[in-house]
Amino acid sequence: MGSRVRVVARRIVVVAVVAAQLFFVARGYWSDHKEFGFQMFPESSTWRADVVRVTDDGRRVPVQVPWAGYRWHELVPDLGLSYPSVRRHATAGLDNQLAFLESALDWVASNTPRDHETLYLEARVTSWHNADEPEVSVIRSPMRE
Amino acid sequence: MIAAFDELLGRQVSMRALALLRVLAGPIVLLHLRPFLADSLEGRTYGDAFHEQYADWYPELPEPVYIGLLWLAAIAAVAMTLGVFVRLATTTTFAIVTYNLFLSTTHFHNNRAYLVIVLGLLAAAPTDREQGPAWPLWLLRFEASAVYAASGLSKLVDPDWFGGTVTWQRVVRARDDLEAWPLPDWVVRVLTDRDFHTGAAKVIVLTELFIAAGLWLRPTRYLAVWVAVVFHVMIEVSASVQVFSFLAIAVLVVWAVPSTRDRVIRIDPQRRLGSVVRRLDWLARFRVEPSDAGRPAEVVDRDGTTLRGAPAVAFVFSRLPVTAWFTLPTLLLPSVRRARTR
Repeated sequence: MGSRVRVVARRIVVVAVVAAQLFFVARGYWSDHKEFGFQMFPESSTWRADVVRVTDDGRRVPVQVPWAGYRWHELVPDLGLSYPSVRRHATAGLDNQLAFLESALDWVASNTPRDHETLYLEARVTSWHNADEPEVSVIRSPMRE
Repeated sequence: MIAAFDELLGRQVSMRALALLRVLAGPIVLLHLRPFLADSLEGRTYGDAFHEQYADWYPELPEPVYIGLLWLAAIAAVAMTLGVFVRLATTTTFAIVTYNLFLSTTHFHNNRAYLVIVLGLLAAAPTDREQGPAWPLWLLRFEASAVYAASGLSKLVDPDWFGGTVTWQRVVRARDDLEAWPLPDWVVRVLTDRDFHTGAAKVIVLTELFIAAGLWLRPTRYLAVWVAVVFHVMIEVSASVQVFSFLAIAVLVVWAVPSTRDRVIRIDPQRRLGSVVRRLDWLARFRVEPSDAGRPAEVVDRDGTTLRGAPAVAFVFSRLPVTAWFTLPTLLLPSVRRARTR
């Protein structure tokens, strides 16, 4: 590689890395997952959720009860999601935690082929943002096919 | 201006610090890979449980190939540390660790992101040579500083954090764990007191910001490094942060001035100090020369100032990576400060 090309390439790489890092730090203030945002121990927030399967005959079955050979804590073993009914710290912040919970519902809904009765999964979430009063929200997976 | 910028990036500097970081990064990568490798031994991978792709187009490999890659990364990490096929090993480690990180949003953690950055810059630097261009070192310094700055800034602008609510609640909820430690009751009372956290939170935030800025400035650099080590040890003791503490402490070596053998230590060859310095001077900061028998150790610093006897020994150990943290405070002693002569 010619000397001039090398100099320009070096310049571009350094400026690009610095700009990208600054972008990701800024993005951490609005993104759920905050990749490369380096916001450590952001909140003391906690959450818990009652997660149920809503079946085609209208039953609401807690996911703690195994179904069709599946166990929730084996399907979703990480990220503090394995026992959602227990109040836990939202390690990387509430937005991050609830985004993962929503994705987990979607993943379970579409990766449990032996389950022929569940229409969708639903989580009734109680969350405490730091010292604030609790808030309740409902998250649903898409309808299963 | 642009010419000066180019000169700064292209200047040939010592690769010792980056080579040392590469050696330290190998075990850190192994520690990072351990849970993935442990799962693979039981036939489990990320694909068997909840995961979430960043993009549909991101390639997912057949399970045996994926597991093979993880083990290849482990072998490459060992080679990286041992200095075998350095460029290939470092690039391979970086590529696989990065590929694995971006396989799923569930793989992402701050410490892993930092590890990928460090590995990427190590792969870009010729750490198998004595000298190389300065730009990977500059970028690594920027990233190291950015980690502290981003973390500190996010806490500074959050009233709950800066006001102490976050730390107070975290400690109060962990009170059972705290009481399980062999701590006096009054310590537990203080640590769970709301007013204590009003002040403590500010100390934490300002410590992070001080490290971020202090590392860049020569008068505060050693203090910032010293404080950073304490900070990471406290985090490691009190929280679960995977490889972050080890990585962040290892990266501190990049703040050493990237030049070699520009200080002189003259030691009586009969004394063991000479061989100790040679063994521990991993950044090659000293030229060891023999002095007359029976004479006290003498150090000539970069600026020409000289120290003799015990202050010289304290100074030398304050500049060696393994002993620096323990001996840096001794440089504040009046007897050591007075010992510097021109």
